[in-house]
Amino acid sequence: MALAPESHVSLVSDPPNIHVSMTRSPLSMQESASKVKSPKAGAIVLFAGTTRDNFDGKPVKHLEYSAYEGLALKTMRSIAEQMVEKHSLIGISIVHRLGVVPIGEESVIIAVAAPHRQAAWRAGEETLEEVKASVEIWKLEEFGDGSVWRANADGCNKTE
Amino acid sequence: MSLKPPPGFFTILYFAGAKDYTHKEKELLEAPLEVNKLLDVLEKKYNGIGEKILSSCLLTVNLGYVDTTEETLIREGDEVAIIPPVSSG
Repeated sequence: MALAPESHVSLVSDPPNIHVSMTRSPLSMQESASKVKSPKAGAIVLFAGTTRDNFDGKPVKHLEYSAYEGLALKTMRSIAEQMVEKHSLIGISIVHRLGVVPIGEESVIIAVAAPHRQAAWRAGEETLEEVKASVEIWKLEEFGDGSVWRANADGCNKTE
Repeated sequence: MSLKPPPGFFTILYFAGAKDYTHKEKELLEAPLEVNKLLDVLEKKYNGIGEKILSSCLLTVNLGYVDTTEETLIREGDEVAIIPPVSSG
């Protein structure tokens, strides 16, 4: 049962570690970070998007997210694969919460792992921008006296 | 959401503002139908939807985006969706 001492070292590079998911449960930053952790990584960048208590000063009671789940997962995976390729990532995790998200809780968590910090910083930011621009998820802001479907600025009228 | 529609029909899904406007999450429409005729079909059922909703939306057929000006045929069993401007994050 003893493993050869070199058994954890691989000469062929491991397939990149890609995790994308959506859930109705609270998100965990620790869990996202663990998913991308690797002895080959020198940097993990973690981004947590949390729900704000106002929109331009108007109090928000809570936010509710809905998704075209099949397509949203496909788009998230495609973004993750592009980011791995472009920034030579070792791992990437994108998880988005659905349903009602109380104020101050995480609605999206992105974790990226790369050999060096520069690539990890860049990939973390770019992943978030791509997710906001194209993943098929919609946010309903509930004000108490009405609600509004929010639109991310450049998600509108794109051709691809 | 992925239940197969009966023969002669396709499924159309509505999200966010499109769901509010139609008061439906999905329905069955008659197939086959040219994508560029879909707007007319929806406008007849939901007066004003073209200008108020569809003008800012994209369209997918079987999880792929399609150009609404091109001659794409929607076939029976297809899953079509109206995609309003997204707002994740």
